[in-house]
Amino acid sequence: MTRMRSIHPLPEIALVVLLAALIGVAWNKTLLTDAWRGETSKAAVIAQPAQAAEAVPMPVGLAQAKELHDSGQAVLVDARSADSFTKEHITGALSLPLAIAGGKKPPLPKNVTPDTIIIAYCNGFSCHDSMELGKFLIKAGYRQVFVFEGGLPEWRDAGYPTAGGAS
Amino acid sequence: MKRIDFVTLLRIALGGVFIYAAVPKIADPVAFAGSVAAYRILPYFWNYVAAAVLPFLELICGVLLVLGIRVRTGALIIGALNLVFMVALASAIVRGLDIDCGCFRQGGEKTTPWLALARDAVFLAMAAAVLRYERLRAG
Repeated sequence: MTRMRSIHPLPEIALVVLLAALIGVAWNKTLLTDAWRGETSKAAVIAQPAQAAEAVPMPVGLAQAKELHDSGQAVLVDARSADSFTKEHITGALSLPLAIAGGKKPPLPKNVTPDTIIIAYCNGFSCHDSMELGKFLIKAGYRQVFVFEGGLPEWRDAGYPTAGGAS
Repeated sequence: MKRIDFVTLLRIALGGVFIYAAVPKIADPVAFAGSVAAYRILPYFWNYVAAAVLPFLELICGVLLVLGIRVRTGALIIGALNLVFMVALASAIVRGLDIDCGCFRQGGEKTTPWLALARDAVFLAMAAAVLRYERLRAG
């Protein structure tokens, strides 16, 4: 009855955490590679064919989105409702609400070609519409589609220009 | 005997909750990364690392608890995770972030940080009870 379990739990905890880390990283290798590239190297993101295996748009960070936007290399599309767009949107963005983009061909201007870099955004990380819109645009034949997951909130918080009716 | 049954039940329930929490996150790591990022605690890339690793840690510990293997390790990690979750939730509340806790299924109905905090406190108490019983049994 007085036998003590002398095994210290710490090594075992470390082992379990390590195991989880290994499985998690291996399981999500592609995602992590994409996220890493999205963060560190703009060139790497753009040089890579946007949709190698699966039709999921890759993420771009705030800095990249801003750079691509400012240099005119990318078109930003706003996946939120037309109402929200009218109230406030990233300056220069096009409105393409997910709800109306569901048709055969997305209503984008003629100068947006299949090779134009398109960055979809909506209300930040809690909003999945930009990801859905991105997937749809890829299906519609656009080859360079990205998602700016921080969306309007992150853009606004960074003090970058927005446009719209309210104030 | 009654007491043992209750703690066993508690252990299996807690393990089950963590398995249930892990599966949708493993299925949709991008959405979970978004939930993690919404807390605005980690730098960009590390949100993805957390989203990749955390669910598997939950899954492994959940399985350990359900099967009754290495219970102390599983319960200790789950307790620690709950503490981390609670700190994150509290910081979200303090900073006035209106976000979904991202605890279980991603997207869909929103769970407020306050509710999630209360829920995590219950899980923490369950982990503590399991640990206490383990210590008694082992001692």
